[in-house]
Formats: sequence, C-alpha cells, structure tokens
Amino acid sequence: MDSLITAAALALAAGDPLGALDRVALREDAPALALRGIAMAQLGDFDRAKLLLRRAARAFSPKEAVARARCVVAEAEIALVSRDLGWPAKALDAARTTLEKHGDRLNAAHAGHLKVRRLLLIGRLDEAEHVLAGLDPTPLPPAARAAHELAVAGIAMRRLRTRPARAALEWARNAARQAGIPGLMAEVATASLALETPAARLITQGTERPLLLEEVEALQASPALVVDAFRYAVRAGDRTVSLASRPVLFALARAFAEAWPGDVSREELVARAFGGKHADESHRARLRVEIGRLRAELAALADISATKRGFTLAPRLARAVMVLARPIEERHAAVLALLADGEAWSTSALALALATGQRSVQRALEPLAEAGKVQSFGHGRARRWMTPPVAGFTTTLLLPAPLPNG
Amino acid sequence: MKHSPAEILREYGPFPGVERIHGVSFDGENVWFASGDRLNAFDPQSGQTLRSIDVAAHAGTAFDGRYFFQLANDRIQKIDPDTGAVLSTIPAPGGGRDSGLTWAEGTLWVGQYRERKIHQIDPETGKILRTVESSRFVTGVTWVDGELWHGTWEGDESDLRRVDPKTGKLLERLDLPAGMTVSGLESDGADRLFCGSTSTPVVRAVRRPK
Repeated sequence: MDSLITAAALALAAGDPLGALDRVALREDAPALALRGIAMAQLGDFDRAKLLLRRAARAFSPKEAVARARCVVAEAEIALVSRDLGWPAKALDAARTTLEKHGDRLNAAHAGHLKVRRLLLIGRLDEAEHVLAGLDPTPLPPAARAAHELAVAGIAMRRLRTRPARAALEWARNAARQAGIPGLMAEVATASLALETPAARLITQGTERPLLLEEVEALQASPALVVDAFRYAVRAGDRTVSLASRPVLFALARAFAEAWPGDVSREELVARAFGGKHADESHRARLRVEIGRLRAELAALADISATKRGFTLAPRLARAVMVLARPIEERHAAVLALLADGEAWSTSALALALATGQRSVQRALEPLAEAGKVQSFGHGRARRWMTPPVAGFTTTLLLPAPLPNG
Repeated sequence: MKHSPAEILREYGPFPGVERIHGVSFDGENVWFASGDRLNAFDPQSGQTLRSIDVAAHAGTAFDGRYFFQLANDRIQKIDPDTGAVLSTIPAPGGGRDSGLTWAEGTLWVGQYRERKIHQIDPETGKILRTVESSRFVTGVTWVDGELWHGTWEGDESDLRRVDPKTGKLLERLDLPAGMTVSGLESDGADRLFCGSTSTPVVRAVRRPK
C-alpha cells in the first residue's frame, strides 16, 4: 500500500472517516475509491458509498480479485443495512467464493454472515440456518463473532428456542464488549430486549395476559388446545391442524376458543366469520356448511356441538383451550412488525419479505402513515419507510477492510 | 533473467501491538520497521524487540547512516534516531502514492506503488533526479552492492526483483509463495534481504542470491 492509503486506512480503523477522506478525497485510483466508499458508508451516505465501491471494484485490475471481492462484500453490506434486499445475492456468493479461494477467511465469513442476515430478513429461515451451519465462529475476531452469534440468536428466536437464543446473545454480548464497538453492543442490547418484551398475548376463559417469548415456547409443550393466531393453526399436544389457507374456519375456531367453555351465538359467529351484521337465512345456511367443514378439520382434536343459541367447542383430550395472539392486533401488523427493526425499508423489500405485491404493501402503508405510525423519506424508487426513530437504535457496519491484506 | 523461488531464512514476529508492516530498514546492526504510528527495532540475531520511536510511519523507511527517512502521508520525514524528533520534511515525489524508500550514495530512492515507478530524489529538496519504470507495483526498494532490488505485490503475486537502474529491465526474480505479501524491503548489506508483510505482521529474511 502507498503512504496516503495506509494513513487513510489507519484513520478509518480509528473511527475517523473524515480524516480518511481528507487524505484521499481527490484520488480516483482503485484503493482510494474503495476507502472513500467505506468512509462515506460510515458517515451514513449509503448512496454515494455504493457508487464509490462499485467504481472501485471496476478500477481494480482483474488480477486484484481479492480487492474486487471485498468491494462487492462492502456494497452488499451497505445494501443490507439500507434494506435494499433486492441486491443481487449471486454477486455476494461469487465474492465469498473468491475470498475463500484466496485464503481471506475473515472476509469470506463476513460475506457468509451478510447472506444469513439477508435470508433472515426475508424470512427464509431454513436457508439461513443452513448457511450459518457452514460457518465456524471459533477463529473469528470479536466483532465478527458477535455478528455470528446475533444471527444464531435471530434464528433461534424466530424458531421459538429461547434457551439457545439466550446463550447466543450472551456470547454476542461478550464478543461485542471485547471488540469495544459501542454500536455493536447497542445492537446486542436491542436484540436482547426482544426476550424481555411481550411477544404474544394469551387469551383464555375471558382473560388475557402478555407472554414473553419463553412462555410462548413453554406453551408448545402444554397439553392445552391452542388456537395459534401467529400460524393460523389449531393444535393439541403434537397434533396440529393448519387453517392458514382457510380464514373463515380459523375465525370460527378462534371465536370458539375465546368463548370456551361457554358457547358462541350464531349471530356472533356470522359476524366473526362473514362480517355480516344480521344473521339471515342464507348466512345461517352458510354457517352450517362452514361449521361442518371445521368439525371435519378438527375431528381429531375437538368436537363442535350445537347449543340452544349457537355452538360450543369440546376438546377431546385437552383440559383447557386458549388463544395465542399477536401482542398488538391491528390491521397491517405484519408490516409494522418488519418496520419495528428500526431500519428504512423500500416497499419492494417489504413486499419481498411479506411475499406479497408492492401494491398491497402500499395500501397498508398509507393508512399507517396517516396515523403517524410510519414515516417515509425519499421519492420514487428511492423512497424508504420506517417507524418513527427510537433513541439509541443503531445497526453496525462491520465493513471489510477495503484493501488487499490491508 | 534469473528466476527462482525465494529462500526464506527466517520469520520475525508477530510483534505485540503491530498489525501490519509498512516499511523496513537496517541501521547496520538492527532491523527497523514502520507500523503506522511508530518505528520499531529488533535484533536480527536474537529476534528480540529493542525499542520504538513514536512517529507517523505509513510506508517506506530508510537510513542514511545517521538519520531515518520515513514516508508519512504525502511527505518524507527526516528523523533523529536518538530523540525521535522530526528534523525536517520534504514532499514525497508521488504526492502520497509512494510506498518504498531507500538511501544510496547521497540520494533517496522512492517507490511509487501503483504507478510502477521508482524515483531517485534529492534528499534536501525532494526534487526528482531520475525515474525508473518497473512492470509491476513497487512496494519496497533497496540498493545492495550496486544492485537495485524492489519488492512487488500485485494481486496475489509477490516477488523480489533486481532491475537495471537505468532501463528498469528485469534481471532477476525471487518468487514468494502465493498469498504472501511484500511491503518494505531492505538489505543488510550482505547476503540477506529483509521484507515486511501485511497479511501477517512479520518481517522475513530472504537469502540474496550470489
């Protein structure tokens, strides 16, 4: 490396991006462009950072494969942090392979973790788990180790495995402290908060209370009949009946579970299932058909019997019936849940993560914005959505060193 | 052109608190190397670290028998080895794109990294007296017995090469194993060449062929 590049890289490493820029601001050679890109990313100007890194990757010669690959990884990380999830995953894979082939294990692992985080954000847990399993955290330096453990914890929490999540967060906390990066420590603290914040509500026999993730997990082993409003399923013991594709049946099942051990009137069932205000003859006929269908679906778990004014649920083996619901139920809860990570999302990223169309995301965002629950900035394709900022929230960029072996 | 694998005699380091080596020099007894914010000395016989001077040290290092010359940012600093004081500075010929530095017969020779050049300059003014073109990135330069050697590091390949100081023509090449980098080069005036590394913070002694 040359003198100014070394000086700039040292400034960057010391957390002084302005000092780094000062030294290479006017230089257009490949290492200078890469350093400027990393510095701009640290300063939060992601658009300019991406542009500079792309130019740097092109400016390095084909022989400088490692330097090129590191630019690609840095660009991918910036894309991830700015929730540009449509960023080409293939380019990241190729860069990772190059880094592995050239013995840059640290940055190869970094590329792997970026891949895992992206898969986590778009809800592809199996793939995320698979990639993560191929990454050995033991030789990683503290900052990379913390990123690894955060990914482990993220997957464990979504899989309702709180004990491994807690263990991973403990590792992450220690590693972040060792790395001495305040942003990383804050990120671990934010992730840990999820374990201490109600993750669900439990409704049973007319009462409801918030549940921590741990309690939700414990509920999986309970002998009760659980109507699960997260997965749109009914289960008892190890038998689960999914009603995810049958919203009317699920609405009925939930109405029964909430009223249990009491019954539910036909009027209320019609209202809950069809949204109708008055139960006329055609509604009653439809209700009978749907109850018949639900009875068939739940045959192994419960019976549905008629009462004077309506119907009631009678579990076969379970001695209790309960409903597991989201902590806050409102329309567009899924959009809010994604935005709750405090990052800026594009509608296309939200659509990708929710497996729906951009238009439906747009329809969800408009009333949320009117209610002041979300805010947007930028225009057109560059428009991003986020929840109103929470103090202290941060996402740490652990950008790869931009220079070959530097 | 003679061409052979580099014979690595010994590796020194890693050194505590040193992440990368940016320049290497020899004061007749001890090896000195630049590590960003200081110059460090070790005994090449015992490998023991001796002392260090706190001074900006971003690239090549040279010794004229009395003072150190050290690239930092876009300048070359002249440093008193006893006090560590920067006595004077001159502009570096590459404006900061410089990497290697060596002293020979009253002048300084400076490698200009990606421009693949070596400049001979006046140590008082920094004026360029002559420029030699190489075919590879220049990461360290040294003179020994009338031979001009420079280190290269381009992509994944590094080597030490002897070039014609007038034409830049490649005369001899010692290849380092793939993945090893060269930053900083200095001879001990006899049969050893010392070169720094950035992938691991070590200084390597390589046999100079006869």
